[in-house]
Amino acid sequence: MASEFLPSRQLPGVTRFQWQQLLGPIIVVIALTYLTSGVSASFSYLTEGTLALLVMVLGLQVFIGNSGVLPFGQAAFAMVGGFASGLLTAPIKIKENVLDGLWEPLKAVNMGIWPSLLIAVLVGALFAFITGLLLMRLSGLAAGIATFALLMVADNVFFNWKLIGPGPQVMPQVPKFAFVDESLALTVIVIVVVYLLGISRRGRLLRATREDALAARALGASVWHLRVLFFTISGGIAALSGAMYAHHAGAVTARDFYLGFTFITLAMLIIGGATSLWGAVVGTILVTAIGQVLLVLEGGVNFGSVEITLPNGVRGLVIAAALVVILIWRPKGVTGGKEFKLPFLKTRSAAPG
Amino acid sequence: MIQTILDALSYGGLYGLAALGIGLVFGVMRLVNFAHGELIAIGAYLFIITVDLGLPISILIAVTGTAILALLMELSVFKRLRLAGPSVLLIASFGVSIFLQRLYEIIFGALPLSGQIAPWMSGVIEFGNTTITRGSILTIVLALALLAGMRFLIENTTLGLQIRAASSDFQTARLLGVRSNYVIGAAFVFSGVLAAAVAFVLVTQRGSVDPLFGVNITILALVGTVIGGLGSLQGAALGGFAVGMTISLLNSFLGNYRVYTYTWLFILVIIVLLIKPSGLISNKAFKERA
Repeated sequence: MASEFLPSRQLPGVTRFQWQQLLGPIIVVIALTYLTSGVSASFSYLTEGTLALLVMVLGLQVFIGNSGVLPFGQAAFAMVGGFASGLLTAPIKIKENVLDGLWEPLKAVNMGIWPSLLIAVLVGALFAFITGLLLMRLSGLAAGIATFALLMVADNVFFNWKLIGPGPQVMPQVPKFAFVDESLALTVIVIVVVYLLGISRRGRLLRATREDALAARALGASVWHLRVLFFTISGGIAALSGAMYAHHAGAVTARDFYLGFTFITLAMLIIGGATSLWGAVVGTILVTAIGQVLLVLEGGVNFGSVEITLPNGVRGLVIAAALVVILIWRPKGVTGGKEFKLPFLKTRSAAPG
Repeated sequence: MIQTILDALSYGGLYGLAALGIGLVFGVMRLVNFAHGELIAIGAYLFIITVDLGLPISILIAVTGTAILALLMELSVFKRLRLAGPSVLLIASFGVSIFLQRLYEIIFGALPLSGQIAPWMSGVIEFGNTTITRGSILTIVLALALLAGMRFLIENTTLGLQIRAASSDFQTARLLGVRSNYVIGAAFVFSGVLAAAVAFVLVTQRGSVDPLFGVNITILALVGTVIGGLGSLQGAALGGFAVGMTISLLNSFLGNYRVYTYTWLFILVIIVLLIKPSGLISNKAFKERA
């Protein structure tokens, strides 16, 4: 039962605070955000969307990387967060006109983006806590399938129940973030939280349960308690991601957070390397970059006199192939599951933990 | 009422076939194959494309093509992941599934292809004042025939014996001389054949195929395999049958609330998993190694 997803005895993960491991990813994310969003309005839009995805991948990393359990249902909490924040901020008039079946108190409420984000995170974490209490009793495939069932239930409920949302329609007129800086600030906060959780005593204990459940229990660790705790936090972060997405796109539907979303975020994490924060960041950037290049090629590009046009669908094809290739040849991801390290500081930490 | 029961039985049979295909592969290599849906989809595409050649040739091409794709999956991807755990295999098959969906989109287009396969199946038979569709009868017959056929193959042939041995304890079977790659390859081929049968029934019902054709039934059959009891072939078939029956019955009895069928179904699935994580019909050897 110990290590279910990550056979990683050589990678105990980070055990003590190192500035470069935290600041490296933060600086990379900030620099890339301003570099790309300065190019054009459409790049700025893309960057903001990528930050929302990165937050989701970080939320997956904090649970998968530390517990070694692979959940397939975290998109359900993104759905909860996206709908909560969308409903709380959309103009009352729109809700009255478009969402006729909505529960009256939800129709009447209206608040700013920031308080709604907070509520979204709390609601997402609450749902994750309640479901985690039950589901974290399971491990291995049973846990994978049960969390997947959770996603199915969430999708079915949100897609049909008009009392709590738009049902199969789009929830329109969600206020958008004014600047990319807002998404960036939220992302940086999540990076700090995920890193500090990883080096915390509980984070280290949870990784111990991943490697050797018996030995960890001897240290007084309860696998169930620790998994529920990290599942709850992961759910809260996923909800934040969903809310950020809603305020990025200005609209939200149930199908935004379904199988495609689940696949792409898991692919990002695994391609980057699930055992490290740096892996989550690198995977998200890499998959987005590949996707963007292929998207441009799908639209058709002229290289001198040669025009290259790729058929639609190539993007998903290449990313899926990349995931399979990584799993076969480099299962720890492109970062090898290691944290960020400046190349010229190699000698200092030569002795592995 | 009779139609309701027949529908439930035919749904159950269909999902049982799909679940047995997934269970066969799971038994020998601990892979919950998400890409089984894309085997069903290629079968459906082949049926539609070859519709003008006549049914026998069409069946031959679709079954062969689907089995070949199943074998290709094993040789190109899963053979290289022999040492990986079940979760890694599951996510790899998720990748293969998305890969093939996009490949179908590139080859056949994103829009549905339509065609009338065996139009006589949509006819009805009248018994006094109740009418029942030929399709539901044929599905039940086909499912029973294939399940019986698979049972014969598994129980009474050397290959079947090897598959059973590998399902219950892969390492020991290997040590006793069962050729693992051969057995796993055979399991993939059989799962391909079963996928083609499922494709036939589905494509006659729907009359069209698109890149996401097999996703829905695979999710449900996969869940059936898991709650039925991983590592037990009867468990897989029965689990799939139970899921199909449950969906059909929920659809009938929820009335106007039938849009919530999946909610109830998946809540039931979670409850079953919480009570018996190794499935309703569990295989001791699998539990010991898990």
